[in-house]
Amino acid sequence: MKVTLISRSGKEFIKGGLELNDSATVADLQEAIYRRTKKYYPSRQRLTLPLQPGSKEKPTVLHYKKSVKDYCNGNSENLTVMFKDLGPQVSYRTLFFFEYLGPLIIYPIFYYLPVYQYFGYKGERAIHPVQTYALYCWCFHYFKRIMETFFVHRFSHTTSPLSNVFRNCAYYWTFGAYIAYYVNHPLYTPVSDLQMKIGFGFGLVCQLSNFYCHILLRNLRSPTGNGGYQIPRGFLFNIVTCANYTTEIYQWLGFNIATQTVAGYVFLVVAALIMTNWALAKHRRLKRLFDGKEGRPKYPRRWVITTPIRVEMNGKRPLGPLDSAAYLKDVVREVNSHLD
Amino acid sequence: MAGFLSVLRRIYLTLYNWTVFFGWFQVLYLALKTLKESGHEHVYDAVEKPLQLAQTAAVLEILHGLVGLVRSPITATLPQISSRLYVTWGILWSFPETRTHILVSSLVISWSITEIIRYSFFGTKEALGSAPSWLLWLRYSTFLLLYPSGITSEVGLIYIAMPYIKESEKYCIRMPNKWNFSFDYYYAAILTLGIYVPGSPHMYTYMLGQRKKALSKSKRE
Repeated sequence: MKVTLISRSGKEFIKGGLELNDSATVADLQEAIYRRTKKYYPSRQRLTLPLQPGSKEKPTVLHYKKSVKDYCNGNSENLTVMFKDLGPQVSYRTLFFFEYLGPLIIYPIFYYLPVYQYFGYKGERAIHPVQTYALYCWCFHYFKRIMETFFVHRFSHTTSPLSNVFRNCAYYWTFGAYIAYYVNHPLYTPVSDLQMKIGFGFGLVCQLSNFYCHILLRNLRSPTGNGGYQIPRGFLFNIVTCANYTTEIYQWLGFNIATQTVAGYVFLVVAALIMTNWALAKHRRLKRLFDGKEGRPKYPRRWVITTPIRVEMNGKRPLGPLDSAAYLKDVVREVNSHLD
Repeated sequence: MAGFLSVLRRIYLTLYNWTVFFGWFQVLYLALKTLKESGHEHVYDAVEKPLQLAQTAAVLEILHGLVGLVRSPITATLPQISSRLYVTWGILWSFPETRTHILVSSLVISWSITEIIRYSFFGTKEALGSAPSWLLWLRYSTFLLLYPSGITSEVGLIYIAMPYIKESEKYCIRMPNKWNFSFDYYYAAILTLGIYVPGSPHMYTYMLGQRKKALSKSKRE
């Protein structure tokens, strides 16, 4: 069978197209493209079925496991496929390793080395116990993350765009330096002994809970990472959809209770907002997939990430601050559609 | 219900746009009048109150974008309004030493002409449903000259204010304190200048894209 490849502009991407066996899979097609172009390796390719001009629908993405014939509409001899270059890709393990390695190296530099001399602070620096415990806590957290990346996580997507490495590293490394600067500062004011113990104790419990959440999530996926979506169950997943994010947020809250820096709380707020967005998306996706119809299980009533944020539990009535904003936005969108 | 809300939305946006338009018109009128009669040293004193009111009213635009009252993306609105508020309050209002500089005049004139055109365009669009083609052309063409002059004035004024920022230690927070936080307004100003470097071309190319889209759309119609 013949496969014609076109770019998004409509031009033919590979002159004369590609000839494939009738039994060829999408993975075979991707390999054939790679052999012809020498540049676009399979993870760099996004193959979709072309849409009608002006169509608002989402294009059908060709799944690498499926047969190419499955996408032919009756006419099994010819298929037109739209090709998009996703740009240079890196494995998720590489991405996570480098983004977590930064804070793991940067933080101890502020603790051990005389960096504050360059900021105009001369003389000896008295190190408070809380600063030492904060170092252990911080390093344990990022070491744990790196270990989980290599030995626990199973990834549904094998690669990520190279640009994400720079973006994510900028985020983690900058915040790492920002927090380390204040926690290890010569003029740092420590909290009370009790507050420190509560903070680090709570943080440690949350770190261990987070690890257990990751183990539970790992068991939902097959070793190849292609288990598809399943309803997470057990432990905190019976209460919240994204217990892994909940424990992550509370772990940073514990760290901030113990260290009490504005920088730490800024990081907590930013991280919580990012994770809340991810959690809302996952919650909606699971509710849509597990709708209780056609033999599919119904997704149980659960909080999304932390108890005040709940989505569409009681019909259309908004519950919680995020839902109120979303509800208001829906009303305005409806008004705008009437104007159009 | 939706019909009533859409009417309410249009009335509100019409009132908002024309109110701010008159604010900026007043700024331009006072600036040109003072420039002619007393010279550039007195421009700021003449326009201070209406400038602060008109510029601060733009905060509502961020809110409009957030709740979906207007379609403009917050990613484009937020940096522009933030930088202008920073210059209005964080530089001109906070450091009187900068107020007599010639750049204040170029800044105020660039801003006010841009805003008079912009708010009258949106005001007309909300009130009548569409704006005349000449106003559309002005809305998407005057920035070609006024953006560079406005941005140059903004950057220039921040740079001029820097010695005074360093000397006064205004808005600085020093450690030790309970929340283990420090803030140096001088370094914040350097950071702001650093953001202008990639930010200005980005905003300019964004506007060029908007211009191309808007003018080609009007040609088709």
